[in-house]
Amino acid sequence: MHEVSLVQSLLDLIEEQRKIHDFSRVTSITLSFGRLSCVEPQTLGFAFEIQSQSTVAEGAALHFDIQPVVLYCFGCTRDSRIEKFPADCSWCGSPEVVVVEGTEELRLVEMDVE
Amino acid sequence: MVSTIRVVQNILDANERIAANNRTLFDQKNIYVINLMSSPGAGKTTLVEKTIEALRGKYRIAVIEGDIQDTVDADRVAKLGIPAVQINTGGACHIDGNMIQQALSSLDLDRIDLLICENVGNLVCPAEFKVGENAKVMILSTPEGADKPGKYPLMFRESAVMILNKMDLLPYVDFDMAKAKRDALKLNPSLAVFEVSCRTGSGLEGWVRWLGNQIESFKNRGRE
Ligand SMILES: Nc1nc2c(ncn2[C@@H]2O[C@H](COP(=O)(O)OP(=O)(O)O)[C@@H](O)[C@H]2O)c(=O)[nH]1
Ligand SMILES: [Mg+2]
Ligand SMILES: [Zn+2]
Repeated sequence: MHEVSLVQSLLDLIEEQRKIHDFSRVTSITLSFGRLSCVEPQTLGFAFEIQSQSTVAEGAALHFDIQPVVLYCFGCTRDSRIEKFPADCSWCGSPEVVVVEGTEELRLVEMDVE
Repeated sequence: MVSTIRVVQNILDANERIAANNRTLFDQKNIYVINLMSSPGAGKTTLVEKTIEALRGKYRIAVIEGDIQDTVDADRVAKLGIPAVQINTGGACHIDGNMIQQALSSLDLDRIDLLICENVGNLVCPAEFKVGENAKVMILSTPEGADKPGKYPLMFRESAVMILNKMDLLPYVDFDMAKAKRDALKLNPSLAVFEVSCRTGSGLEGWVRWLGNQIESFKNRGRE
């Protein structure tokens, strides 16, 4: 349900941008977040569709740039890119790893406007 | 004409600004603040009660309770003679900087050393919304299972402390403690872990000592 708050904040950001750039319609929005950051693209898209009605962002296409999860291994000092967490080092199998990427917060990267 | 605007901004910037304002106020008033998070029923309010019992002789404590609707938790705390404010999250699944800011008007900030904010029971959203806390503290209780760090990674990543509660139930539940700790530490190697039972009181002294130390070093900040 945090999607409602996230979408509201996104719409506020878009409104701030509209004051600067003076556009009448947003056609496409690119968002980014880490795979482990608990953002659910489908739920977010659904909330966006409803909440953006009669705003400049109504009908805009959402694109998600999902950042992968990267582990650093204390054993062999290499990084592994993993599909699923939890996981061990994919080089040496050591469980002594730390997540170094993949928890990035939700960001508005760019948008196409007219 | 179509053009592309490059923004690159955190969606929750506005909340972070409000949380930072709260933080500035807490610093001025010397108030150490924890944001307490867990699933519903993991033991947040019970831990609040135990923490009050242990530290009330030493620090002036106040509590903000963020429940979706009722005031049961605030009543439990008020019964102990501790200032307690209930905030209505209006159906939201988390508390945010703005709600805390509003709740502060019901508290005497000149008479508080430790403010505990009990978040709404939820392992997903509260981790994203700062309120101006010094530390996020999370509780994982043994009946919930050891798969939680894998399912709700952000909470474990963001917290300074993980309290493993309901250790008294360990013999009856299928909780893989080694796995829970290992996966949590993969997300956050500096996580402080305490195994406790709020029912029997076992292990609570470690948590209370940690919190006391944090409050002391906060009070002595900038003083060498
Ligand atoms: N067995 C056991 N029960 C506990 C423990 N801590 C809390 N509880 C019980 O768990 C239930 C939920 O606790 P509460 O503090 O209200 O959880 P909250 O929803 O996270 O605030 C209550 O019935 C508590 O008495 C514990 O360490 N062991
Ligand atoms: Mg409670
Ligand atoms: Zn390795």
